Amino acid sequence: MSNAPDSAVAAEAAVVHHGDHTHRRPRWALGPWALLIPLFAAILLRNRVDFLQNEEFRLWSTLFVSVVIQALPFLVLGVVISGAIAAYVSPDLVRRLVPRRTALAIPSAGLAGLALPGCECGSVPIAGRLVGAGMPSAAALTFLLAAPAINPVVLVATAVAFPGNGQLVFARFAASLLTAIVVGSWWARRGGESLLDSLRSEEWSSHNRWSRLVDVASRDLVHAGGYLVVGAMAAATLQLVVPRSIISTVAESELLSVLMFAALAVVLSICSEADAFVAVGLPQFSLTSRLVFLVVGPVIDLKLVAMHIGVFGRRFALRFAPVTLVVAIISAVVIGQVLL
Amino acid sequence: MMLWIGGFTLRLIWTGGFGWFVQQRMRYPLLAAAVVLLAFGLYEAYRSSIDEARNPSARRWSVAPGVGWLLIAPFLILLSVAPTGLGAAAADRVEAFTPTESNEDFTAIEPSTGPVEMRVFEFLDRAIWDEEQSLEGLVVRLEGLVVNDPSVRDGFKLTRFLVSCCAADGIPLQVTVRGTPAFADDTWVIADVVWKPPAVPYRELEGRWVVEADAIEVQTVEDAPKDAYESPW
Repeated sequence: MSNAPDSAVAAEAAVVHHGDHTHRRPRWALGPWALLIPLFAAILLRNRVDFLQNEEFRLWSTLFVSVVIQALPFLVLGVVISGAIAAYVSPDLVRRLVPRRTALAIPSAGLAGLALPGCECGSVPIAGRLVGAGMPSAAALTFLLAAPAINPVVLVATAVAFPGNGQLVFARFAASLLTAIVVGSWWARRGGESLLDSLRSEEWSSHNRWSRLVDVASRDLVHAGGYLVVGAMAAATLQLVVPRSIISTVAESELLSVLMFAALAVVLSICSEADAFVAVGLPQFSLTSRLVFLVVGPVIDLKLVAMHIGVFGRRFALRFAPVTLVVAIISAVVIGQVLL
Repeated sequence: MMLWIGGFTLRLIWTGGFGWFVQQRMRYPLLAAAVVLLAFGLYEAYRSSIDEARNPSARRWSVAPGVGWLLIAPFLILLSVAPTGLGAAAADRVEAFTPTESNEDFTAIEPSTGPVEMRVFEFLDRAIWDEEQSLEGLVVRLEGLVVNDPSVRDGFKLTRFLVSCCAADGIPLQVTVRGTPAFADDTWVIADVVWKPPAVPYRELEGRWVVEADAIEVQTVEDAPKDAYESPW
């Protein structure tokens, strides 16, 4: 689909390969400057390759770049917090702060999500580091799911999008928190704790905290950021392949529209602060099916799956994503029936 | 890597190019992110130079492991494709938005000698929901881009995108402007128009509501406005 990212990958392969063969030269010395090669190539290609000015490809580029640019500040906020966790939060502190009993730890981790204003991209590295700092993984995952959906910014945005519809805001809050708690409890019972062992491998030390913070933040940024880019590419591609106008043609059946909104949330990968405005633009559908959209989007979508693979590993994502999706749909439908 | 991304982001803010992708209010979060990235990048570079001075053979921080290199992809695309914002191609893909709920609390329009400048969203909102019919006979100045549609022969659909977060969630807002010469798709125009009340009240119509207006004067604009998108906030 895209030339430029391919050339970046090619350049990466070339550089790594090259680096492996020149042991005497430190690897980092090649890194920053090697980036100049694809950059110059990109500038040279501009206006020379017709494909790059193709209308569809330009639109794809706009969508792709905008998802990344939008996510960047939240990602940076997320990795700074994850760096701070790695540097300042000792396993002892976690043990003292997190309730011993899972039945208490999971809901409180969910409510702690209220405190992190931002989108979903930032909470992925944070949850990863919380596990690293010794938090029970079920609690960390509950936080991961709750934070992007129930923070004040998102709730205010929802209230602005649906003026005079307080129930919907409350339903969103309730269904998202319910999703997070149910998935967290499921993970506590039968989750593969061992799948996340790699996150805990690092020794904690209180030395040189500032440089540990920067180290961890940089590593998380580049790592999670790389997967964010993969997810953004997939989302931009699917947005073009599956035009949104398909929505207006889908049948009247409530079940179909619930499933369609769930699929839409996964494909569009819109950040949680914006999805309410998209939902309000589709008044021909029931509030419950639109609630499904608002509950599913922040917990699972293409870019999140990519980031989960990056931060927690592929096997984790394969188990976590389907369960989360199903739980989110059911919570939204149940809460929607009760409240809306 | 951090230095590159931070630098590119700064440049994007400096040139105003970020306005094609996200809302203007994202300027400050982006600026903060760029500053943090640059600071971290400099700190790492400084530390690795100290490490190297102490121990030339020590293994250094790797610049970007594996997939991390992809972070540079959006910036490569910015350089090579130089994508601009949403336009006619995007408008064709998504159904246009019309306000379906309104607080119906419209402030009176201040009398003025010339045309009244208005956002496309407000124009649609007033056209559909204002009981006072404040648009009737009023000359309104709208700014947006041209989207041609085979169903509109004597004009175009003046389009502005409503973007709440980033361009990927953009929804077109459209006013059908009639009685104009032909313009190419994606031309930015300032149009002075008068609302054309519908033959049947909008609310009695099933499906899409199309708001129409007659053109008084249409001027093309060289550059897109800085805030290319309207925000629902």
